[in-house]
Amino acid sequence: MSRVQALGVTLALVAALAVAGCKVSDTDNQAAAQGGPPAGGPPPPPPHQMRAQMAQGDRLNSTMEGKDLFSNRCGACHLDWGMGTNLLTKQQVAQGKPPSMGLLANRDDLTADYVKSVVRMGKGAMPRQTRVDITDSELAKVAAFLGKGK
Amino acid sequence: MQLTLPPGLSPQGFDAAVKALQGAVGPGWVMTTDEDRDAYADIYAPGPETLWGASGAVAPQTVEEVQAIVRIANEHKLPLWTVARGKNLGYGTAAPRMPGSMVLDLGRMDKILELDPTLGYCVIEPGVGFMDLYERIQRDKLPLMMSVPGNGWGSVLGNALDHGIGYTPYGVHAKNLCGLEVVLGNGDLVRTGLGAMEKNQAWHLFPFGYGPTWDHMFSQSNLGVVTKAGMWIMPEPETSLELTYDIPNADDIGWVIDTLAPLKIKGIVEQSIFIPSWLGKMVIKGQRKDFWDKPGAIPEWRVQELLKEHKLGYWQVALRLYGNEGIVKAQAEVVKAAFKPHLDTPPHEKWWHQGDPTNVMDTTLGVPSAVPLQMGDWVGGKSAHMGFSPVVPATGKHVLDQMHRSRKIIDAHDVDFYASFTIGGRFCNNVNMLMYDRDKPEDVDRIKKLFNALIADAAANGYAEYRTHLGWMDAISNTFNFQDHAMRRMTEKVKDALDPNGILSPGKNGIWPSAYAAQRGKNLA
Repeated sequence: MSRVQALGVTLALVAALAVAGCKVSDTDNQAAAQGGPPAGGPPPPPPHQMRAQMAQGDRLNSTMEGKDLFSNRCGACHLDWGMGTNLLTKQQVAQGKPPSMGLLANRDDLTADYVKSVVRMGKGAMPRQTRVDITDSELAKVAAFLGKGK
Repeated sequence: MQLTLPPGLSPQGFDAAVKALQGAVGPGWVMTTDEDRDAYADIYAPGPETLWGASGAVAPQTVEEVQAIVRIANEHKLPLWTVARGKNLGYGTAAPRMPGSMVLDLGRMDKILELDPTLGYCVIEPGVGFMDLYERIQRDKLPLMMSVPGNGWGSVLGNALDHGIGYTPYGVHAKNLCGLEVVLGNGDLVRTGLGAMEKNQAWHLFPFGYGPTWDHMFSQSNLGVVTKAGMWIMPEPETSLELTYDIPNADDIGWVIDTLAPLKIKGIVEQSIFIPSWLGKMVIKGQRKDFWDKPGAIPEWRVQELLKEHKLGYWQVALRLYGNEGIVKAQAEVVKAAFKPHLDTPPHEKWWHQGDPTNVMDTTLGVPSAVPLQMGDWVGGKSAHMGFSPVVPATGKHVLDQMHRSRKIIDAHDVDFYASFTIGGRFCNNVNMLMYDRDKPEDVDRIKKLFNALIADAAANGYAEYRTHLGWMDAISNTFNFQDHAMRRMTEKVKDALDPNGILSPGKNGIWPSAYAAQRGKNLA
């Protein structure tokens, strides 16, 4: 087993984020739509958010869009209710920002160089990403997509 | 990270090997900068990352490229360290046991070659992650339910080959492997089981071969590079029912195991039953300092206060049944009758029916997620974790015995006690999570001393770890001491025969080839 213990974490995280009022995005919550939470209870977490598919081709000279590359290469942690999103949501809320800023795609203060640096050097719980995880060509596009801070 | 050369290789020899590898896979897929070496280091390393520093990494896309790399490694005496996706967090991540090894990163080999919903299996390459396979099943709307571990970011094959576990009836992942394709240390390509016959139709379905069956010699192993494998996947059940019990006291784990293990062995409960202690739920409610801001272990009186404040039992059993509705209802009645003599409170019940939505946290319904890794935030700083994970017989007597002994040692080292038991059959995996801030050398030191004490105590009482971090691979191997380590001697003879230059993952799980025998016992944590 991975050391990480999924099951015990589940309910508490649901409760913790619900108490904090953290709805991290406006993605349709099918679970809520089809029956919804018990009255007064915490809202259920959203469904798994599907990542964009990787296109066939030379990853060293990627022809994919930055948005899709971000979804596929970073989506394991940085889409709705991903580990990265949850931790960043806590940090953003603590700084007085709305919970939706936990999603990197919503941020307007990131620069391309900062994104590249964090991806390669790591930050907090974020591990350094190898050039197999994301190639330099792919990272340049992801950094341009996220780097709205200019 | 600066370049550490493999033992016996000159800078000139290393350069020649790198050039040859570039010729085999293209210069873009041989990664040897300082930044690359950092990216392949163990981010949870209990000590300096350089203890297990790679010299670089090479990433093939095809089995022919793997064979070419193995031939080059033999020619240049360049040791390789094979990883599937390199997300083995807590056990060394992608880092090699022997410094200077070149990581053979199979992350680009990410094809799903077969996916059969009728017979319930897939054939995949090592770079296929849990999310890749899950999303393919969802997109194709196939009636299959995966078993996923706590870290859904990793490789399906890598996890199974390292004996990872999940929480469904298919939770003992190594048992789902059926039919491997393997590149040996001399570059030969073999197929196990019925795959040894050209064009065999059933090699991912029948778990044996003709004569000796070798599949598991390639798990937790350095005897070959698995390039693809069959994995069985559970048909999606018609319904599933979750029964959740909060268990009040630490020693109640004895009757819980004695109640559940017989149901598991009889097949009334089919899943691998995960039973985490209270701290498993607290770690994502906030940071440790929010609940106890002093150094040292949280004292028992504060633990009892926290359980009351947060309405938690000491343990939680969130048991899940899978199958046709009538069968699940009948199974649930048996479970409830078994719990009744011990616990007045009935379980919380939650049904799921085929077609109902699942959410990101439905691990027991096969939804992969990396969120459980969030527990690292508990200690703050440069947080990391390791697990002390002995395997114990699934009886209350053994479980309580192991828990009392390990708890005494953990308390004596002034570390928080954070245990779980997973009933996988006639055994339990007892994972004791040890969390530390890598920026606090005194924390790292304490955890290392504690880990050594736990290993020695468990071995003295007849319990072994099922898996461990790079820094303890030799130590755990030493505890397998029947007939003066006869099994290790046998495996090392096989290793030398199949891989005479010892270039495949030297030191993996304490198996050292003659070529690097002098490295045994070095670079320990």
